[in-house]
Amino acid sequence: MKADAVRLPEELQAPALTAGLVTSGNLDDQVLTFAFKKPPRAWYIGFAITSSVMTLGLVLLGYTAAVGIGVWGNTNPVFWAFAIINFVFWVGIGHAGTLISAILFLFRKRWRNAIARFAEAMTIFAVMCAGIFPLIHVGRPWLAYFLFPYPNQRAVWPNFRSPLLWDVFAVSTYFSVSLLFWYLGLLPDIASMRDRATGKVRKAVYSVLCLGWRGANSHWNHFEKAYLLLAGLATGLVLSVHSVVSFDFAVSLVPGWHMTIFPPYFVTGAIFAGFAMVLMVLIVVRETMDMKNLITDYHLDVMSRVILAMSCLMGYAYLMEGFTAWYSMNQFLHSIFTNYFIGAYWWTGWLTVACNVLIPQLFWFKKCRQSYVWMIVIALAVTTGMWFERFVIIVVSLHHDFLPASWHLYKPTLVDYGILLGSFGLFFTMVLLFARVLPVIATTEMKGILPGAQPHAVKSEE
Amino acid sequence: MTQPKSGDTFGVVGLFESADALMAAISKVREAGLGKVEAYTPYPVHGLDKALGQRRSPLGGMVMIMGVLGALTAFLFQWWISGIDYPIVTGGKAPTSWQAFVPIMFEVTVLFATFTAGLGMLFFLNKLPFFGHPVLHAKAISAITRDRFGLAIEAEGDAFDVAAAVRALESAGARPIEVISVPSFSGPMTARYLERSLLGIAIACAVSGYATYWAVKLFPVLPPTSHMLVQPRLDPQKPSAFFKDGHGMQLPVPGTVARGYLPLGVTSQEEAATLVNPLAVTQKVLEEGRQAYMNHCVVCHGPLANGVPTLTSAYGAKPANLQAQQFREYPDGKIYWAIVMGKNAMPSYAADLSEDDRWAVIHYLRALQRAQNAKPGDLAGVKFEAGSGQGSEGKAP
Ligand code: HEC
Repeated sequence: MKADAVRLPEELQAPALTAGLVTSGNLDDQVLTFAFKKPPRAWYIGFAITSSVMTLGLVLLGYTAAVGIGVWGNTNPVFWAFAIINFVFWVGIGHAGTLISAILFLFRKRWRNAIARFAEAMTIFAVMCAGIFPLIHVGRPWLAYFLFPYPNQRAVWPNFRSPLLWDVFAVSTYFSVSLLFWYLGLLPDIASMRDRATGKVRKAVYSVLCLGWRGANSHWNHFEKAYLLLAGLATGLVLSVHSVVSFDFAVSLVPGWHMTIFPPYFVTGAIFAGFAMVLMVLIVVRETMDMKNLITDYHLDVMSRVILAMSCLMGYAYLMEGFTAWYSMNQFLHSIFTNYFIGAYWWTGWLTVACNVLIPQLFWFKKCRQSYVWMIVIALAVTTGMWFERFVIIVVSLHHDFLPASWHLYKPTLVDYGILLGSFGLFFTMVLLFARVLPVIATTEMKGILPGAQPHAVKSEE
Repeated sequence: MTQPKSGDTFGVVGLFESADALMAAISKVREAGLGKVEAYTPYPVHGLDKALGQRRSPLGGMVMIMGVLGALTAFLFQWWISGIDYPIVTGGKAPTSWQAFVPIMFEVTVLFATFTAGLGMLFFLNKLPFFGHPVLHAKAISAITRDRFGLAIEAEGDAFDVAAAVRALESAGARPIEVISVPSFSGPMTARYLERSLLGIAIACAVSGYATYWAVKLFPVLPPTSHMLVQPRLDPQKPSAFFKDGHGMQLPVPGTVARGYLPLGVTSQEEAATLVNPLAVTQKVLEEGRQAYMNHCVVCHGPLANGVPTLTSAYGAKPANLQAQQFREYPDGKIYWAIVMGKNAMPSYAADLSEDDRWAVIHYLRALQRAQNAKPGDLAGVKFEAGSGQGSEGKAP
């Protein structure tokens, strides 16, 4: 390849993906050894907080199961309240991970390698959190297996024309595929940990987990192919999952839900929220685990840009929703849409727009893309905004339905709040545990993109 | 192929510092033709498969086939269930219409394809998990998974010779070089140990699964499942705890009057004669009366109110001929009484007709009576417009 000889101007050159001297060897020393060291005090404190919040959530889940979902604020006509808001919220958070690991992989965005593993792990934990909600929302979670089409003595089958059933398939497929993708990527890293591990139990656990991976080239050959295929499949999947989630709404006839823009609008929102969450957690990881050389300022900068782009798309989607409502000349749609901003829950509508469209515009400024404070403020705003967006879609649309006689203001109970909080507890507990026992950076993938990692002979042959 | 015994030489592995060095060495070592040459690297190195002469991965084809199979499976499954075995008509779609099956087809396609790609790669193509591989028990492995590039000549066929293999690797520049023998299966890290622990886990799963199965079977209605059975409700012939007196149904509060049943204030049809129709005769009232009459009275008293029912002869009673002199002279109040209280074979219509409707019916009845017994002077003063035949009974002076 002669193109190498041509020097590109500075600003067109690909930026360095790591800072300082990073070699395969010291990468392993830096990343893989966390599992073998005693965690710092802060980790224990964090873990104590998150796990107690999680326990609170668990207790309230138990309470809900024992007494029934009457302990929530859901009543006629708002039967889809916190449970579904939280479900959509968490599934959305998950999307960033798959986007980073699959779509950016296909686009050969090599900066993804440093943050892919963490984002994938967050996907899995987020989908775990998401999975709880439809489960408890069915009221008798121990009968949730009724959702699956299996031959039964009741001689009934589920309705395959219902988006709710599509959802069951989409989310369970998404979870298993993400898990597989994550695990496959982890495999060589775990193999490396196995060889670094001291102590019998640890070694045995990592040995089993990596399935005896030995780095043979014939294995890499299939592995790379599998990874590429998985990335391609996961790309389609990630776009489909939130589309299917949006069908739960769009296929129904409730004004404010029945809109063709919903699938792309939901996918965008999901990526948006997910990136904000990843950005927030990455900042913490980068600081506490001392990874400034691997997760560089450049990474944070690109992530911020993605958030900015998504925010603009969200703004477009909101405008489009308003336009559709106006252009439809449908008085129910008019009333619902004006309700978003001047109804009983007017502040949620404005909060959504402010947090999702206005505040992220700060990322136009380089200063904001480089300062932790701004990044965290904006990411928090996005997370809040996206939660409230789902609140607006679900609660505000439902509480004024076609029949004025049944209009009713929805009020969540303490149990509702507690379970939401508990899901955050679960998420961060999992994140902390993950950071403890598995590599937070895809070392194998990083090694492959370090300077000089690939033989030059091949390059000149091409 | 005979099973290698522990202690046999598996091969010789040499380590290189960089991918470039490894690449350069491969062709030299392969030329020596001593055995199977395999590279062990910490990450996938591009171009090695070509240099080592390894075939392209057949995974793409496998995934393709399984993906198509997934789509077909999902389609046929849904089509059979929704169209044939348990047809549900939703949204007015034909039970076998396929469009709604697409989302699940897509998901199942992806599921089949990804699991083929992932698990097919691991278990089928790479033959993992395999914990007993000699390389895993060599010293070199911890350098290989870290940052060194291993090149191994593995004993295969008669040409293999340990000394020659060591020499070949040495001249290609490998440092250090290690002769690997098939590991002895003892100690905690061996394949057998791991296999045994996996078996242990499998047994534990089976036992706990079986225990759960029986627990659920034997105690199906523990709380909270049993909460479904303890809902507060009225059971027939059983006392209820809802009220103090043990009855589920309670008598209304004394003096309660049901809607539309305000007391008439009179106690017999004779007394009812004094009631006065509160409605004025208007087009609207007559129209309401007509509707009420058509809905409730016409079947028995006939459209002309002459007591000729539109019912078959199976209806035994004889509805009154309301055109008879007696009823033309009947006070409104007595008709009202008959509607509210019923009369012999005629049931009460109080439940069906509101206060206003009852009086409106009476006005209409009067109109019918008048229409059947019209006198020549009745139409004096009524102006006829062309084509206005309708509603003329209302325009009586
Ligand atoms: C199920 C058939 C039936 C229907 C419907 C019915 N009637 Fe009658 N009605 C009778 C019969 C039978 C009698 C004769 C009762 C008797 O005197 O034995 C009667 C009698 C009467 C009388 C005479 C009462 C009297 O004091 O002798 C009046 C007035 C009358 N009906 C009005 C109405 C009006 C107004 C309606 C519509 C709201 C109506 N009926 C609907 C069967 C019916």
